[in-house]
Amino acid sequence: MNFADSKKKLAVAGVICGLVAACLAYFGNPANMAFCIACFIRDMAGSLGMHQAAVVQYARPEIIGLVLGAFIISIATKEYRSTAGSSPMIRFVLGMIIMIGSLVFLGCPLRMVIRMSAGDLNAWVALIGFVGGVATGAFALKKGFSLGRAHETNKANGAVLPALMVAVLILLTCTSLLKFSEAGPGSMHAPIIMSLIGGLIFGAVAQKSRMCFAGGIRDVILMKNFDLLTIIGGLFVVMLVFNVATGKFVVGFNTPGIIAHSEHLWNILGMYAVGFAAVLAGGCPLRQLILAGQGSSDSAVTVMGLFVGAALCHNLGLASSGTAVNAETKELVLGAASANGKIAVIICIVVLFIIGFTCKRESAK
Amino acid sequence: MRKKELKLVVTFHTTADAMAMEKACKEKKAEGRLIPVPREISAGCGLAWCAPLECREALKEVMSSVGIQEEEMHECMV
Repeated sequence: MNFADSKKKLAVAGVICGLVAACLAYFGNPANMAFCIACFIRDMAGSLGMHQAAVVQYARPEIIGLVLGAFIISIATKEYRSTAGSSPMIRFVLGMIIMIGSLVFLGCPLRMVIRMSAGDLNAWVALIGFVGGVATGAFALKKGFSLGRAHETNKANGAVLPALMVAVLILLTCTSLLKFSEAGPGSMHAPIIMSLIGGLIFGAVAQKSRMCFAGGIRDVILMKNFDLLTIIGGLFVVMLVFNVATGKFVVGFNTPGIIAHSEHLWNILGMYAVGFAAVLAGGCPLRQLILAGQGSSDSAVTVMGLFVGAALCHNLGLASSGTAVNAETKELVLGAASANGKIAVIICIVVLFIIGFTCKRESAK
Repeated sequence: MRKKELKLVVTFHTTADAMAMEKACKEKKAEGRLIPVPREISAGCGLAWCAPLECREALKEVMSSVGIQEEEMHECMV
């Protein structure tokens, strides 16, 4: 199906992805997380032993499905192109920054939209930062920012990340080598086969529709083009209906149990870093997985940066905590950004300005 | 809603080249506008320059004068 030839079809693509996310939330994924790329990569990093936060360790089949869905559909439609060579180490750093910003806010742009659809006002506040970050990235593009062009490479090179995902799937289903949370968000999940199929569908639809949260806002700013934003609109509407229908729509700031905090400045700055870095890297975390699936080793390196960033966040105490009710005292314990996380976000934003305004197209220098 | 017409679509190796093309075309008053690369051309999410078919030679001149190398030139409904 060609999703891109009309806005209605793009909205249908968003609706399909929204239905996948709603189904996975209904069948066990953490409420209000449903399908978060940053959280799920963080969980996967934990399952591989890259960090030791016991409550967020699970090799999420959704991530495996996303990469493989994009890989399979791009092979089937002859769109698979193995490319590499566009400043890989800078992309690695951008991947780390995207993850650090996401885990200070507590969610990637996809989860931000899912949280918005559940009435979480913190996510609406964070949207200000995300739009600001994308706008800053678009300004850098106008000033000549470039990471250089990618080149065609050996076809097998682009298939390495999909192959690694297959390996993780085998480890998950056939061995007990991977770590697995017994409590907390990592222990909450839909059945493996459902998560995998959901990821495959989401990945294939995202590849065909070019779904991208940062790209959607970038295109509006640079070209007043609303195509990619239409997809996000479709997903938002489905999740809104799901949350209202299941009683999960709660308007407020300090809602316990939804893994969020209400430190507005750090929600804004965290997502500012994510939006800025995503425009420089050429896509949000979801888009990086899809591009990696269709053969881009540059995006695969960005995904590796996401994994290392996730490990750093938990090993160095950069990730924020969510508002929760104390099980013993029944008191509300407010979530917060950590001191280390705040320092890290500021460093990340400084690094983004250095990258964004020094890496330029040759003739723009 | 804009009616789709057969147009010339120039794609580039990088987004920065597309942005440079926009700047050059504005300075030299060449026709066209920046658009997302049409889906039928690419699965990527870059930018392209879209102009009337008869602008092909004029655009080539603009690109050679400022040192921009196109990836490809397509004719497609936009």
